[in-house]
Amino acid sequence: MASQKNNRAERREWYKLDLSAIVYPTLQRKDFSSVYRLSVILKEEIQPEILQQAVDTALKRFPTYKAAIRKGLFWRYLEPNVRPGPFVQPDIKNPCMPMPFKANNRYLIRIYYHHCRIALEAHHSLGDGTGGMCVLQTITAVYLRLLGHKISCGGFVLDVDETPDPEELEDAYIRYANAQVRPPRPGEKTYRVRGTKEPFYTLNIIDGILSVKEIAKVASSYDATITEYLNACLLYALMQKQQHDWHKKLRPVKIAMPVNLRRFFPSKTLRNFITMVYPSIDPRLGEYTFEEIITQVHFYMRYYINEKFLRGDITTNAATQQNPVIRVIPLFIKDFVVRLFYTKVQDKNSSAGLTNMGALKVPEDMKPFIERFDIYMGQPFSSRTNCAIISFEDILTINFASSIKESDVERYFFKKLVQDGIHVKIESNREMED
Amino acid sequence: MSYCVNCGVELESSLVSCPLCNTPVINPNELPYVKKASPYPEEMGQVEVVKRKDWAILLSVVCGATALTCGLLNFLVFNQNMWSLLVIGICIIIWVAAFPAIVYTKLPIYVSLLADGASIAVYLYMITYVTHSDRWFFSLALPIVVIILCIAEIITLLGRKVSHTFLPSAVYLFGGVAILCVSIELLIDRFTGNKPALSWSAIVLTVCVIIEIALITILSRRRFRDAVRRRLHF
Ligand SMILES: [Zn+2]
Repeated sequence: MASQKNNRAERREWYKLDLSAIVYPTLQRKDFSSVYRLSVILKEEIQPEILQQAVDTALKRFPTYKAAIRKGLFWRYLEPNVRPGPFVQPDIKNPCMPMPFKANNRYLIRIYYHHCRIALEAHHSLGDGTGGMCVLQTITAVYLRLLGHKISCGGFVLDVDETPDPEELEDAYIRYANAQVRPPRPGEKTYRVRGTKEPFYTLNIIDGILSVKEIAKVASSYDATITEYLNACLLYALMQKQQHDWHKKLRPVKIAMPVNLRRFFPSKTLRNFITMVYPSIDPRLGEYTFEEIITQVHFYMRYYINEKFLRGDITTNAATQQNPVIRVIPLFIKDFVVRLFYTKVQDKNSSAGLTNMGALKVPEDMKPFIERFDIYMGQPFSSRTNCAIISFEDILTINFASSIKESDVERYFFKKLVQDGIHVKIESNREMED
Repeated sequence: MSYCVNCGVELESSLVSCPLCNTPVINPNELPYVKKASPYPEEMGQVEVVKRKDWAILLSVVCGATALTCGLLNFLVFNQNMWSLLVIGICIIIWVAAFPAIVYTKLPIYVSLLADGASIAVYLYMITYVTHSDRWFFSLALPIVVIILCIAEIITLLGRKVSHTFLPSAVYLFGGVAILCVSIELLIDRFTGNKPALSWSAIVLTVCVIIEIALITILSRRRFRDAVRRRLHF
């Protein structure tokens, strides 16, 4: 069935939302959208007119990003958007603003520029970070070409003259949701960071910039990878925060971490293809040292992040969506149930979010033009901190985004890195009052 | 290049205090008050307003049309008294009350509350054209509206600035009810020409005071308990 659909993909006038994209529009509120931001800092000032040309050229290659979201009777769907836009605009202080579906000519992406930075914000229902990165890097490559540089294609940079490969537009979940059992997913209430809410609409950002070599050395001294080390640092920070605030009852500390499934299941899809894993510690069992946390995280990752476990997870996810009874329930009822499930179970299942896009590859001839990349997971659904990590060459950036005033978790986190002898440089859009 | 003395992290040169711990940056080697450019833009973005524009138009049209037709009907056909003012007033109230809810405006809630109060006062004043006397309006209706408005504004302010959790909200609410009842009774006494004295509102006042005392005790005891636990934990 999937292959039949793929054959017709070129002629298709609309796209079903992929399996995980179904949830994001449901959570849309006046003050919340699931929007993430990717940005690249070049070495020269951006020229807006040329950037606009680059955007117009590059977006033709990405039909699922030049799209609008619409409501059907049973499901939402994406429809090619032929309205003018999206237009590049000067960057703003509060990124990842809510994205009403009918605003911005119905586009679900925004492109900003600021000095040397190009930033792409995309609604998560279009695709995940990998897809967004393809869009951003392709735009950047076209932009540099318009300036007269020679940039080759490859990796995240797609050839803008090619027609889109049907595989890029597929819902890859369905193709791999074929395990014979559906492992249940445990859910429990976890520790929530309490804080003072910022007024509508503020996103507090703290970026840490550090050296990949330094952090790799420290991580290997703990026998861990960089992701495991940073996960452990965040768990450690959250654990300390929970100890210092007074709580009647301790709760487990869990991190929601998206795993890029393309690493395990080959697919060229530019849409969502991630699943969540939850490295955790349970302070109710006793106090953890940092070494214990890192061991725990290390073995958790080895145990859960493999092709077999992930296949089971995808199958569990797909089962509900493919259930014939669920399929014919009208959309507004689905929305209600999904939102309820998300706020009562899913959202309470983690204390913070962490994503690591890893070491980013760009075509060899594009490297000299690029300073660094940043990635923001966007506004958290409830009061928690989201942490996103990306590295390019020797620069690793850790971007925290939160909508509460307190920055304790960030402080504990970076303090741990400094204690381990890593040099951290901090940038922020926060304005502290005394 | 500045470092935070507390956290040990290097701080980007435009930062005047550490974003992690709020410790101010003091670097004696650098000239103070030379504001450097932040890597972040200054401008705040605004979410584009699309919020139910069609509903707003519909609401305005329905309210406007109702008011207009009633006015005409009153003027041309059933012109014994000024009954259409009542309908027009209701339309104004509905429009003023529903407009901020339908269209996302940048109006602070205090202003929209004020607008609601004003529209109700205007409506009541319109009624005086039907009743032929406006004494009840100036000595009873207007003061009551003003008092309710003040109480509503104060409760909103407290809810925003102090705490909006369940128990404190109950404290504000009962306080508001007590003040309202007492002032209504005093106003009625003045209106009817009786000597100002508390009778039924005294009962309400007593009940509210008892509830307030109970609530405040619960609130303060919990704080007290937490403070003790914090200081004496082992
Ligand atoms: Zn500091």
